[in-house]
Amino acid sequence: MSESLLDVAAPEASDPDDQFDTRRRPGIWTALGRGKGLAGLILIGVVVALGLLAPLLAPHSPTEQIPGANLVGPSGAHWFGTDEVNRDILSRTLYGIRTDLLVVFLAVPIGAAIGILVGLVSSWWSFTDVIAQRVFDLVLAFPTLILAIALTAFVGPGLRTVFFVIVAVELPVFGRLTRTSVRTVREMPYVEAAHVIGAGSLWQLRRHVLPNSLEPLLVQLAVSMSVAVFIEGAMSFLGLGVRPPQPSLGSLIRDGVRNMYDAPYFAVGPLALVVALVLGLLLVSQALAEARRR
Amino acid sequence: MSTPLLEVTDLAISFSHPRPAVRSVSVTVDRGEVVALVGESGSGKSMTARAIIGLLPDGARATGSVRLGGDELLGLGEKAYTAVRGRRVAMVFQEPQTALNPVRTIGWQIAEALRAHGGVRGKAARARAVELLTEVEIPDPEERLGWYPHQLSGGQKQRVVLALALANEPELLLADEPTTALDVTVQAEILALLRRIRDRTGTSILIITHNMGVVAHLADRVVVLRQGDVVEAAGTRELFAHPQHAYTRQLLAAVPRLPEADDGVRVLADAPAPTGEVAALEYDDVSVHYGSRMRGRVLPAVDGVTLRLERGQVLGLVGESGSGKTTLGRLAAGLVPLAGGRVRVGGEDLAGLRGRRRADLRRRLAFVHQDPEASLDPRFSIGEAIREPLDVHGVGSRAARDQRVAELLDAVRLPASFTKRRPRELSGGQRQRVALARALTLDPQLLVADEPTSALDVSVQAEVLELFADLQQRLGFACVFISHDLAVVNTVADHVAVLRAGKVVEHGAAARVFGDPAHEYTRRLLDAVPVPDPTVRDATGPALHEQREQIA
Repeated sequence: MSESLLDVAAPEASDPDDQFDTRRRPGIWTALGRGKGLAGLILIGVVVALGLLAPLLAPHSPTEQIPGANLVGPSGAHWFGTDEVNRDILSRTLYGIRTDLLVVFLAVPIGAAIGILVGLVSSWWSFTDVIAQRVFDLVLAFPTLILAIALTAFVGPGLRTVFFVIVAVELPVFGRLTRTSVRTVREMPYVEAAHVIGAGSLWQLRRHVLPNSLEPLLVQLAVSMSVAVFIEGAMSFLGLGVRPPQPSLGSLIRDGVRNMYDAPYFAVGPLALVVALVLGLLLVSQALAEARRR
Repeated sequence: MSTPLLEVTDLAISFSHPRPAVRSVSVTVDRGEVVALVGESGSGKSMTARAIIGLLPDGARATGSVRLGGDELLGLGEKAYTAVRGRRVAMVFQEPQTALNPVRTIGWQIAEALRAHGGVRGKAARARAVELLTEVEIPDPEERLGWYPHQLSGGQKQRVVLALALANEPELLLADEPTTALDVTVQAEILALLRRIRDRTGTSILIITHNMGVVAHLADRVVVLRQGDVVEAAGTRELFAHPQHAYTRQLLAAVPRLPEADDGVRVLADAPAPTGEVAALEYDDVSVHYGSRMRGRVLPAVDGVTLRLERGQVLGLVGESGSGKTTLGRLAAGLVPLAGGRVRVGGEDLAGLRGRRRADLRRRLAFVHQDPEASLDPRFSIGEAIREPLDVHGVGSRAARDQRVAELLDAVRLPASFTKRRPRELSGGQRQRVALARALTLDPQLLVADEPTSALDVSVQAEVLELFADLQQRLGFACVFISHDLAVVNTVADHVAVLRAGKVVEHGAAARVFGDPAHEYTRRLLDAVPVPDPTVRDATGPALHEQREQIA
C-alpha cells in the first residue's frame, strides 16, 4: 500500500497550488529594482551624489562673499543667483544638502535603532512595557515643533538640537511599531517550536522574532527619513536649526522667504532639492509597502 | 428526461500563471439531485463552484459554458448576476463563524437576505424568518431571531447560514466544505439536515468536499476532480463499489478507516501490564484552568486527568473541540501552566526542574504543530530549520550537524537537495515531514503531535501517517498523538483516551476502545463518523435521525 501512496505523492509537486509555492516569493528588496522603487532610488541617489560631491561641483565656497554680486538673479555665473551677503546660492545649496543627509541617514537610523531596542525589550518583558509605553505616550503627546521649541530652550539652537529632536520623535514611533509587530510574530507557531526545542528568549528574539518583524520597520524607516527632512526644514526655518553661516536646505528656504520680494528666485533651488529628496524617500517607502502586501 | 438544472460544460479557468486552475470540467446536476465534487487541494473544485456563482477572483478568465435551467451564466454582467445569486443559486461556506455578521441579529440577517431580492418586509419577513429557522431545525425559532451569532454553537451557526441560503428558495445550493469546520457529531447532524432539506424542498445540492465519508453519506452522484480535470464521474454506490480510475482507487484506499465489527484481528489486552519501568509520560490528577481567579471566571480546560504512557507506545487523545485534548498535549511539552496535579516526563517533574536539568529534560521532548505552514520560520531554509535544535544545544561540530540533517531528511524521505529550499517552496505534506524531521533531531523520548495531519489532503495524510508509524517503530519514541479524527488515531495509536469537557471518558487499547466502546459518548462519536461506504448510509439513515433527536 505504501508504494501506491508514494505514487500519488509523486505528482504532488506539480499540483497547481504547489506550482505557486515553488516560485520564490520576491523579497521586498526587489521592489527597489523597478517602477516606483527605482525612481525613488534614483532621486535619492542624485541628491546624495550632489551633496557628497559638493566640494567638486560647487563653484564657490559656501561662505565666500563674492564682491559686487548682491542678490543677483540666476545667470551663467550663478545658476541659483546670490544672496543678500553676496554668497553663491548654488554652492550653499550643495553644501546644505550635506547637513540634511546627516540628519536623514544618521539621526533617523539612530532614533530607529534605539526605538527598536526599547520596543523589543518592552514587548518581551512586561514590566518594562508599562514604563516604556507611558514615556512614549508623553513624547507622542507633543506636536513635533512644540517639542523642538521646548528642547531648544534647554540645549540652545543648532544642528545638535535638530539631531536630538529627530531621535526623540522617531524613538517612540519605532518603539510602538516594533512592539506591535513583535507581538504578532511571537505568537507564531514557529517561535513556539523554537521554545519547545529549548531555545532561550534571546535566541528566539534574535533568530526568529526580529527578522520576521523587520519589514514594516523598513517601510517606516523610509517614511521617517522624509519626515526628518521636513523637521530639519521647519526647525531651521524657525531659526532653531543649524546656525549661520552653516547652510542647510531648511535655512536656505528661510533666507529665501525673507528675501521673497527682492529675490523671488532665491528659494526655488533649495525647494526643488527638498522636494526631490522627500519624493524619492516616499516613493521608496511606497514601493516597499506595496511589495510587503503582495 | 427533462434537461438538467445545472449544466457545466468544458469549463476552464486560468490566471496569469501558466498552469490553468481548471482545465476542462463538465458537471450536470438534475433537479433534486445531490452531486459531490471531490478532489484534493489544487484540484479546482472550489474554483468551479466560484465560477458557477460568479465569484471568481480578479484576473481569472473562464471559458466554456455554465447553464442554469437553460440560461447561460458565464459572461453575465455583475448586475445580471445579482439577480441569480441568492435567488436561483445560493452558497453555504465552510466557516460559519465568518459567514455571519457578528454585530447583527439572526433575524436582521435573514430579513436582509429577503430584502435583497425585493422579497417580503416587516411582519411577513419575520414570519418567513421563523419559517426558515424551523426549516433548518433550530429550536425556539421565534426567540432565536433576536440572538447574535456568538450566542449560537458552531452547528447552529451553520444552520443559520443554511437558512440564509434557503431564504429565496434557490434552485441550486452550492455547499463548499460545509461541515469541515465542525465536530463529527455536529457534522452528522448537518449532513442529515441537508438530505432532509433536499427531500422536503427538492433543492438541488452541489457539495464540494474532500471527505469521502461525507460523499458516501449525502451524494447521489460523484464527480472526482484532479488538477483541474474530471477524472471520474459516477453514481455514488457505483463509484465506491467499482472505482474505474486509478486515482479514485488511491483516494479511496487512502481514507483511514475505523475497525469494523468483525475486525477482531488486533485483540490486545486492555490494561497495559505495568512493566515496573518508568513511564515515558505520566499525568497524575492534572488540571488546567483558563481565565483568572481574580476576575472570577475560571474555566477548567483539563479536569483531574490521570493517564500513563509507557515507553515506545503511542497514546491517542481524541475528543471534540473544547474537550481539552490539545491542552493535555501542550501540558506534556510544558507549554501550559499547571493548575493542579503532576506531569512527569520520564519520571521527572517538568515543573520542579530549573536551569540545566530542565534544559536536559526539554531535549528529550519534541512537539509537532498542526499547521506546518506556520510552524516553520519562513526565513529559515529547510536545512537550517532541522539543524536549529543542534545549534541551540551546541551539539557536535558544524560538519556533524550537517551530516545529521542529511540523515534526518533521508529518514523522512525527502531528497538531500531540499536543505537549501525555503518552506514556501514545499507542499503541505513535505513541510509536515520537515517539521517531523526537526522534532526528531535530538532523538526525543517523547513526541507530542497536535493534529499533525489535519491540514493535509487524504492521500498526503495517509503517506505522512505511514511514515510516522514507521519512524515511531524504528526509533521507539513514545508519542502523544492528538486528533479529532478517530480513524486517523486508530491507524497510529496503541492506546486511546477519549476526552470530553476536560475529563477522560474512556481509555484503553485502541482496538478495544474503537471496536467495542464501553462508554456511551465514545459510541456516539464513533457512530457520527461518516463511513466512506454508501451502503452503510442506507442502513443507518433512520438511526442517525434518532441520534440527532437524542442529542437535541
